[in-house]
Amino acid sequence: MPEPQRSEKGFDAEMADKIVECDGGGPIAGTKLAGRQEFVGRATGEYVDHGDPPWRWYLVVDLTLKPDGFPGDEVWCESGSLYLKTD
Amino acid sequence: MPKDPLHTKLCDMLGIEFPIVSFTHCKDVVAAVVNAGAFAVLGEAMHTPDEISADIKWIRDKVGGKPFGIDLVLPASAPPAGALEELAKEIPESHRQFAQEIKEKHNVPEPKGAQALHQWGGLNQEMARAQLDVVLEERVPVFTSGLGNPGFILEAAHSRGIKVFGLIGKTRQAAREIEDGVDAIIAQGTDAAGHTGPVGTFSIVPEVAAIAGDTPIIAAGGVTTGRHLAAALCLGASGVWTGTLWLACRESDSDMIIKEKLIAATSEDTVYSRSVSGMPMRTLKCPWTTEWAAPDAPKTLHAPYQMLLSSDYIQAANDHRREDLMFEAAGQGVSFVTSMKPAKQIVIDLVEEALDTFESLTSESPVATG
Repeated sequence: MPEPQRSEKGFDAEMADKIVECDGGGPIAGTKLAGRQEFVGRATGEYVDHGDPPWRWYLVVDLTLKPDGFPGDEVWCESGSLYLKTD
Repeated sequence: MPKDPLHTKLCDMLGIEFPIVSFTHCKDVVAAVVNAGAFAVLGEAMHTPDEISADIKWIRDKVGGKPFGIDLVLPASAPPAGALEELAKEIPESHRQFAQEIKEKHNVPEPKGAQALHQWGGLNQEMARAQLDVVLEERVPVFTSGLGNPGFILEAAHSRGIKVFGLIGKTRQAAREIEDGVDAIIAQGTDAAGHTGPVGTFSIVPEVAAIAGDTPIIAAGGVTTGRHLAAALCLGASGVWTGTLWLACRESDSDMIIKEKLIAATSEDTVYSRSVSGMPMRTLKCPWTTEWAAPDAPKTLHAPYQMLLSSDYIQAANDHRREDLMFEAAGQGVSFVTSMKPAKQIVIDLVEEALDTFESLTSESPVATG
């Protein structure tokens, strides 16, 4: 296995308190498949960059849209799949 | 009409004869399709970096310098750590009971092997990055992202001569990825197998083509004939992405029971159901999907907890090779999967039927529709 990826936390003031939509999803464990999920909530501005080149993920809270049964009220969203609600 | 309507900009980009992309989890199919003049992508999302590296070497050995692709899934959302484990304890007893009733009603045996389907840890950003690093190190000709925006990896990929394709289910996803600079967009309609968006192939392909500029569009979802290929090119695509078509081909490692079920199936034998994974997914119908669609069935759970409920059924069906229980992800084009042909023959048939279709558009004798 390769070395563990570097992860760096940070804060992006421009994203803080923005209402965002996330076209999210991911692999479904135990299958060969992936599934899509949608979220709407408030970006806090907190982010984590994974690896190099950095793969940025934002924390989204106060979810007003999430899949049925999704645990909790916050989700990490990949920046390329995040849209400002006004887009 | 151009001299060769099947010679598209996708062919020029990849150096292939035919604008046909096979998506498969079987590397033998990849080799056969690539050597037949088309293009193939191996789905590796569930494989370790070492397995991916070995598969890439195997394919290179079989296809020489011809191009091929590797598909990974880039997660685009993830709940905070720990939350999933807590919820796992909270699967309602009513759901466990309903799953047990299905097992009893359909005489589902206990699985023989370990519950591989329960191993749902580790599918995270770190795993995805480790898989991606193999693709970069091996300088695979094409990387396709089956889910998630590959924008962050574009510069690193392009600097190594790797082309990057993004699979999308919504037009705005395509707009974002085209702006980022992906080399091609796979526009997938709801007709496709597995987890898809809600928009049909006939709508999403021209919608994306209208905003794509010079970026090639590859149409996905329900494509199983040469007429589909011709139609996709007319909609503005430069090629087609096909999955179900290869599941029953001679080289495919699918179980023979699954191959026979696919050959017997029509479009009405597929179902768009949350009962397997908790996310909408198109598969062949089976007792599990039918029971969860009943009016008195509980509401399905969120992924991955619905998968925890369905895993015993799936594992037992496959372990015991129970024809009445087994199923597979399949798209609505499954009606046209009618025999276990060699992959090369499938490529030839697609090409010949597409050319016949184009010819019929300019002649008075329409092509036969079977």
